[in-house]
Amino acid sequence: MRQQLDTAIRLSLAGQVRNRFAWILLVAFVPVWYLLIGSMIAHHGIGFSLQATGATLVVDGHNLTLITAGLSSITLITGFVVFAAVRRTRAFDRRLVLAGYRPAALIAAKTGGALVQAVAIGAYATIIMLFFWRPAGVWAVAVTFMLAAATYAALGLLIGVLVRGDLEGFFLIIMVSLLDTFLENPVDNPLANKPILEFFPSYGSTQFAAAGAFHHQVLAGMAAVSLGWTAVFAVLGLIVLRLRMPRPASVTAPAVTGPEEGAASS
Amino acid sequence: MTVLVARGICKSFGRRRVLAGLDLEVAAGEMVAVAGENGTGKTTLLRILAGDLRPDAGSVAIRGRPGYCPQTAILDEALTVDQNVRYFQAAYGIGRTGRAEALIEQLGYAGCRDQRAGTLSGGTRQKLSLTLALMHDPPVLLLDEPYQGFDWQTYLAFWEMAGELRDRGTATVVISHLVFEQERFDRICHLRDGRIEQEAISHAPAA
Repeated sequence: MRQQLDTAIRLSLAGQVRNRFAWILLVAFVPVWYLLIGSMIAHHGIGFSLQATGATLVVDGHNLTLITAGLSSITLITGFVVFAAVRRTRAFDRRLVLAGYRPAALIAAKTGGALVQAVAIGAYATIIMLFFWRPAGVWAVAVTFMLAAATYAALGLLIGVLVRGDLEGFFLIIMVSLLDTFLENPVDNPLANKPILEFFPSYGSTQFAAAGAFHHQVLAGMAAVSLGWTAVFAVLGLIVLRLRMPRPASVTAPAVTGPEEGAASS
Repeated sequence: MTVLVARGICKSFGRRRVLAGLDLEVAAGEMVAVAGENGTGKTTLLRILAGDLRPDAGSVAIRGRPGYCPQTAILDEALTVDQNVRYFQAAYGIGRTGRAEALIEQLGYAGCRDQRAGTLSGGTRQKLSLTLALMHDPPVLLLDEPYQGFDWQTYLAFWEMAGELRDRGTATVVISHLVFEQERFDRICHLRDGRIEQEAISHAPAA
């Protein structure tokens, strides 16, 4: 099991690193998105409701938009990267399991790989944001980006095991990410401070980021909400992934015929 | 000694019944072809034997971990030939990859070992797929038209290898259209109406 886990982690990361399109998105899309969105939104004060405390902060709309722009870019990229990885290796994973690979080792490697990517993409998006705005609570933005990336990594996994076609998956990830992240921002959405948005995946991370970046406040409960979404998506995705893996015969089952050696049955 | 037994295998896709109570037994060292027209369930049968598809009814018993080479070469496209081999080394739990290296040499694609699977030609992908199925010296081999895309030289090398495996006692089930190679098998099973209708014994088994 240990050898299989080590191999799966090493080789799945090696495969991910070779996803050139993901690299292009990271290097080009993230800074361009910040630049584009940032240049369109002026530095006007806008009310942002911290639902957890009931307080309404007056924050710089431009800076708040940079946070939601960062969220939308990393959620799109992470969702896409994990979705593409799941789709790319689906048949290969089945073949590995038929050859004796333990599904638990493959699943653990995928989960670990997705988390590594979420942390790396979140950290990268935070660093790029520093070229456009240096928030006082930069750590909160970094944590937020990592949390949101983890949520969308899990969503990418779930969509990857559920949909039939690649196009459907990409469409779903794009639509969910755009709606989710843009609706949380009162600059883009006048209804952003309404309670209904509490039920959106990036609600917790947006609240956590705004409280930390503008108010030096740690809303641990909001981080937990974000982690909750991650856990729900990940557990559902991993269950479906496990159910869809073949269950090959055990090689230690007794012989059906032939007097000499053991046989496997399925 | 019988190393593969399939009994009463039934499989339907929707209303379409593909396999209807099929029985098959294969002995060690026997090379069996499963033939039939398109859509008769050859690939379905092989996938059930490999454990890749669950039958609606019936049972399969196979000695040891079979080597399975699906119709389409299923590889990790982003990884190199050697990395694909390493994945299967871990899957089979084998310490060395000496057998895989020998197969790579024998099939003539040693020069591609550092190449990503996604950049290989169709024939070379098929060779790698075959290597992954054979590298743990399985007692039973399940091959779905394994020589698709092979050039003539590799095609001959494949049959030479198949002969060696037979001599070593490996049981082989090959899905084949049987245009040229009938004489190479010990037994030919024709699939019709979901069952093995006819078993023809070939004239002279050849390596």
